[in-house]
Amino acid sequence: MVDTNAAVKPKQILTSGVKPIWCPGCGDFGVQAGINKALSDLGIPKENAVIVSGIGCSSSMPHPFATYGVHSLHGRLLPVAAGVKLANDDLTVIGAGGDGDGYGIGVGHLVHNARRNVDLTYIVMNNEIYGLTTGQASPTSLFGMKTKSTPFGSIENPENPVGLALASGATYVARAFSGDPMHMAEMIKGAILHKGFSLIDVFSPCVTFNNLNTFDWFRKRVYKLDSVGHDATSISAALERSLEAEKTNWEKVPIGLFYKVEKPHYAQLDMTLKKGSLLKQPMPTKDQVGEILEEYK
Amino acid sequence: MTSVALRIAGAHGDGVESSGALVIKVAARNGLHVVAYRGYGSIIRGGHCWYQVRMGDSEMNSYGDGIDILIALNQESIENQKSHLNDKAVVIYDPSKIKVDTLDASKYRLTPIPLLDIAITASGDPIMRNTVALGAAIRFLGIDISAFAEVLKGQFGRKGESVVNQNVKAATEGYNYQGVQTIYSLRGDGKHRYSLDGNTALSIGAYAAGCKFYSAYPMTPASSILHWFAAHEDKGVMPKQVEDELAAINMAIGASVAGVRSMCGTSGGGFSLMVEGLGLAGMIETPLVVVESQRSGPSTGVPTKTEQGDILFVMHASQGEFPRIVVAPRSIKESFKVAADAFNLADRYQVPVIIMMDLYLSEHVETLDSLDTESVHIDRGKVVTENTDGGRFKRYLITDDGVSPRSIPGSKGLEFVAGSDEHTEFGDLVTDAHAGLDWAIEVRKNMHSKRMRKIETMLKNESVFVPEVLNDGADYFLVTFGSTTGPALDAINLLKAGGKNFGLISFSYLMPLDKEKTKKLLEGRKLINVEVNYTGQLAQVIRMNTGIEITQSILKYDGEAFTAEEIARQALALVSK
Repeated sequence: MVDTNAAVKPKQILTSGVKPIWCPGCGDFGVQAGINKALSDLGIPKENAVIVSGIGCSSSMPHPFATYGVHSLHGRLLPVAAGVKLANDDLTVIGAGGDGDGYGIGVGHLVHNARRNVDLTYIVMNNEIYGLTTGQASPTSLFGMKTKSTPFGSIENPENPVGLALASGATYVARAFSGDPMHMAEMIKGAILHKGFSLIDVFSPCVTFNNLNTFDWFRKRVYKLDSVGHDATSISAALERSLEAEKTNWEKVPIGLFYKVEKPHYAQLDMTLKKGSLLKQPMPTKDQVGEILEEYK
Repeated sequence: MTSVALRIAGAHGDGVESSGALVIKVAARNGLHVVAYRGYGSIIRGGHCWYQVRMGDSEMNSYGDGIDILIALNQESIENQKSHLNDKAVVIYDPSKIKVDTLDASKYRLTPIPLLDIAITASGDPIMRNTVALGAAIRFLGIDISAFAEVLKGQFGRKGESVVNQNVKAATEGYNYQGVQTIYSLRGDGKHRYSLDGNTALSIGAYAAGCKFYSAYPMTPASSILHWFAAHEDKGVMPKQVEDELAAINMAIGASVAGVRSMCGTSGGGFSLMVEGLGLAGMIETPLVVVESQRSGPSTGVPTKTEQGDILFVMHASQGEFPRIVVAPRSIKESFKVAADAFNLADRYQVPVIIMMDLYLSEHVETLDSLDTESVHIDRGKVVTENTDGGRFKRYLITDDGVSPRSIPGSKGLEFVAGSDEHTEFGDLVTDAHAGLDWAIEVRKNMHSKRMRKIETMLKNESVFVPEVLNDGADYFLVTFGSTTGPALDAINLLKAGGKNFGLISFSYLMPLDKEKTKKLLEGRKLINVEVNYTGQLAQVIRMNTGIEITQSILKYDGEAFTAEEIARQALALVSK
């Protein structure tokens, strides 16, 4: 279904004409460009793509696209996305959320959808702050960070989403940076092509409420994993790299593909889905209902 | 009508449940009618539990007030059950383990049988003491031992011939034990009946309607729906056990957006977590069926006991206003029908439909001659598959009936975004850049009224949103909803035998209600609401919809279901004042 050799030039118009809500210069524009390029390059028909978001600035993501989309509830995009995908395996389902949404209120769903290896691409626009609620600390805010809810500096440690996803059994784990949308598009393409649960943690700076983790701040710190010969087939190497930012006090921050492994995904193991998409399975006949009823005689 | 209530009592782990299931099968296959209910606790081994199987020669709607035959498997069972024993009740017990000196030997037919000794001699397995006791009970009931042997063969056939033979031998020893003789003679009509509980009937109804996706987190008393879907996964359905009820409802919504008929289920505590998701389904107008099987609340409450305490909560759950359908099946048979219809209603009006079960309805077992599988048909409502005008698809088109055309992902030219924020006909949000602009205010007003208009449409198109009146000319009327309707039905017959002319007004669909018709049906009658809750929630719903205040009620909130006798006694007391 997906053409991996598609030309870089977009094959179809993917924009709906709706403008996202982001501030000028917001990192999320880069993510929009990355998703757009990935879907275009792979030649995925717009009617077969579903972009699912939660709540927050990130939740604007489905609207500028001419694909199908669900703008759901805060923290719940993964169950909604998983429901769509389990119902119709022929669809390309992309979850697009934020750090508060996916690493805070909805973090449980990350763990469980990773371990059940649902074939989803989950992109988290991680800006280390709550933007739409005007600047409170988020689960990835750095220790000591001053925000509206932590005016004396945060005394909580930031979550390590890459490490969490790895430990939870995600089969494709990558990190990207909005300042490099071409690299990000490659990470997203890889995730869409990967059959299984993919997390892409994207540094997507908030230009209004996060004065610490800016584009420049990240530019000075990020480096690409393939430039250091990282072995993305090794879970130990991936876990080690996931700790690097914390260990170097955020001086060296790796981006790129941390880990990728081929494992059967949920629909390949489920007894019913093995027979085909749930949507295409026939409705029961009266005889089949009668047969079931006989079990109770 | 002749009926006999057999109660098996013991500790969790004593095989009380499986013994009850055997008796139900024997009766159902021998032309008898059964209503059976189980009392148990939140414990796997130990504690006290019982299974009451009421068998009769005609249809019954309640599990019986007293015990006619008690099989006591431990000392505690004697002490706990003696207040329920009817006069002349048979008490089967093992004298080597149990003392009965607290029972008045002149009032009951005490039947000591060395159950354990016989079991060990017959099979070497002490658990077969239950089979010995059941063999004796079968004799008292007047059922032939061959009927019991047949069921044992079916039950244990997979374990091999010797296990079957040991069981039959144990049962026969009990059947032939000295002093055991036929005292009841239940005459069946020869029909093989179905025996199933409410959750099973509901699950089969959902299956028949083409429900392919069921998501849930385990919670008593809804878990058996998840087990049903899991056991029938080879029939093309997908059970999904998830991490919490937030995931359960949102995953079902996702599957429904993708076009698959989907359901999720839980009890009140889990439903509390589903509340936000319910509003999402309402806002994005995604069809959804939710099962809420009530148990005693609040909080963890009494997890293994019944209540009808959640209807006001469910009717008003989630912020804001949106149309929903709330229905409480009145019987096991109706649980099938309600579930099968729920998916059509959800699709037709693109609303959540909540099926209110309760522990009693979910778990008690009845025999049935049939389920109405013939009447099941599938109506997916306004699903469109082609873009006919070439323009951008208006998923939320403003229509007179409030229902908009709906597309399924994968359909070309019909793409849209389903948004939990207020949105335009296309699904574009009006809540951010446009909030407060005149046109956005107009869109909000029109879109909200479009959604709410669906209530009028369903009231106009469907005939189910009124209560049912039985015995129209009666002097007094019991008023019920959901599972209390069964025992109330039997209570009316008991009252009639006592010379009082009672009718019954019972609600299955609770929301929306056809106010005018409901008012007309209730007006000018002497009404007594019968509910398993403290505040008379149905009476409140009635008053809210019709202005009619019911001033006499029979309420119960001790965790047990009503028996017919209990309702009849209290009703009589109220009208004799």
